Amino acid sequence: MYVLMRILESSPERYDMGISVVTLGRIKPAYDRIASHIKCGMKVLDIGCGTGLLSIRMAERGALVRGIDINPAMLEIAKKRLKQSDMPEELKENVEFSEMGVAELSSVSEGSYDAATSTLCFSELSQDEIRFTLRELRRIIKPGGLLLIADETVPKNLVKRFVYALIRLPLVIVTYLITGTTTKSLREPALQIEEAGFAVESINMNGMESFTEIIARNPGSH
Amino acid sequence: MPSLKYFFINIVGTLLRGFPLPAKTGLRKIGNPDRSSPVFLTCNYAVSVERVKKALEGMDCYLLVANSNGINVWCASTGGHLSNHSAVSVLKTSGIEQLVDHRRVIFPQLAAAGIEAGVVRKKTGWHVIWGPVHAKDIPRFTQILEDGHRKDANMRMVKFPLLHRLEMAVMWAFPFSLILALLTYIFWRQMLILTVAASWIVPLFVFITFPLYSGLLTGKKGKNHGFYGNYGSYGSYPGPSKEPHVGRPLSGKLGISKYTVLFNIGWVSLILWLVFMLGVLPYSLAAGTLSLSLLLRWGFVSLSMMLLVNIDLMGSTPVYKSGLHEERLLKVMLDRERCTGCGICVDVCPRNCFSIEGRKAVITGSERCVQCSACIVQCPEDALYFASPLGKVLMPDTIRMYKLNMMGSRLKKGA
Repeated sequence: MYVLMRILESSPERYDMGISVVTLGRIKPAYDRIASHIKCGMKVLDIGCGTGLLSIRMAERGALVRGIDINPAMLEIAKKRLKQSDMPEELKENVEFSEMGVAELSSVSEGSYDAATSTLCFSELSQDEIRFTLRELRRIIKPGGLLLIADETVPKNLVKRFVYALIRLPLVIVTYLITGTTTKSLREPALQIEEAGFAVESINMNGMESFTEIIARNPGSH
Repeated sequence: MPSLKYFFINIVGTLLRGFPLPAKTGLRKIGNPDRSSPVFLTCNYAVSVERVKKALEGMDCYLLVANSNGINVWCASTGGHLSNHSAVSVLKTSGIEQLVDHRRVIFPQLAAAGIEAGVVRKKTGWHVIWGPVHAKDIPRFTQILEDGHRKDANMRMVKFPLLHRLEMAVMWAFPFSLILALLTYIFWRQMLILTVAASWIVPLFVFITFPLYSGLLTGKKGKNHGFYGNYGSYGSYPGPSKEPHVGRPLSGKLGISKYTVLFNIGWVSLILWLVFMLGVLPYSLAAGTLSLSLLLRWGFVSLSMMLLVNIDLMGSTPVYKSGLHEERLLKVMLDRERCTGCGICVDVCPRNCFSIEGRKAVITGSERCVQCSACIVQCPEDALYFASPLGKVLMPDTIRMYKLNMMGSRLKKGA
């Protein structure tokens, strides 16, 4: 279902209303589950923060959040949302949004974050970019720190994959015609995260296996 | 030998020119490159990738394919799809840094509207060299580079030769002939072949004969055509510099101009249509089907085809600004006090609008400008900016941040 994100992204003003409709309300509980792993005082890097929904949820729990995204229009909405949110002013100061791509993660210093999150972002990256990002995250996240991923995935089960493709195809065509792009669902993201040296602690999928949440930990020793 | 893939992608790409066609991003090895081989970058429009690969045949080098959402270099860079992020990402994540010792990368010149050489340098350490407009000039360009010369005006210039005009005609004809074929099949079956033929003949005719009437499009005689109302009622192009700039007067406030009424070329399109209709007469006589209703139907079909093709004829050429919105016709202005005469504007302008005289840039060909904004984006001194005919000034920061799109949000943000 998340292919429609592309349409929404092309007009960020409508993004938020659209995203809950398109994800059938599934994305907000996913944000809540991810945020529940974040404790007060933790330093968190939110990769592909978009309009800042997850970043702000984590800040409300007292975390120090840096949200990065390459889309300046979405970041503007994120900043506005932060300003208008009803959390205490001192917590608002703990959030920073900046325009930055994953390729620039090499400028972030070693062990500077307790956790990193990325929702519906890896599926927009190329394989080169995913490998690079995971390698950099191994360096950036403190030993014992968390990596929390939620994204669209290709079902492993053949029948489910067929049904999924059938549902997805018209959406892909519509999205392509309107925006000229589509997203690529991830294949075996957990395996890739493990290959990068993270210890995967839990994999949580929906019934269709088309949406996956992964909790992994940086074991530290390289 | 170009591969089968080259022909296939070129054919599909030509028929569906208006649609994105993404190729895989990342690193491509050409020949047997070593640690000092040149590095080129292009976008991930499949047709561009194939054409660049063909131009590089016989060389030993690396080709980086940056993400442009499957759109060609020029459209993607002016539209914000081929950005600093695309360039930085492919330079850092493709593994090229482990393969070569130098840090020089040759970008297509037309990417200059979207990728800032200074930002790429700061974020990655790579030095950007602006290559030629067309991939086929790459071998000659590398020779010029080795000899320590600058690329010549021909290599920097976007023109509109017959081959490109044919491509543009096919871009209109193919999708529209499909749509028309479907519609006529449903509503007016006996006209099927004729409608499809018309939807190919009209665009081909308009674009092939383009040089015959293109001189009329520029209006460089300095006089206003009859359709301009409110002569001079809008101000001149403003600017932070003190010199007054005399601008082109605009049409009335309702936005009705020669552009909206007769689609850019006014009577020229009507003459083309009449010529076409005169061709229908002998045809229907020969076919023995001449009747008033046939002529009326034909007249309607071909006139709508003509208007369709002419909706934004100027905008669908690479050598004129779009004629749809007069209030968005921006003009490049130069702040002479800031200019240091470095010549980057000369290097990136695809219409050869600039020259350097006495250590300062001079805008010598503003009538050729297509407001691609490459010069403004790249100027290291922020000495160039846009002025709109309604009195707005768009400074380089705004232009770098808000790329062009169909909603014209750049002009809104610059208010």
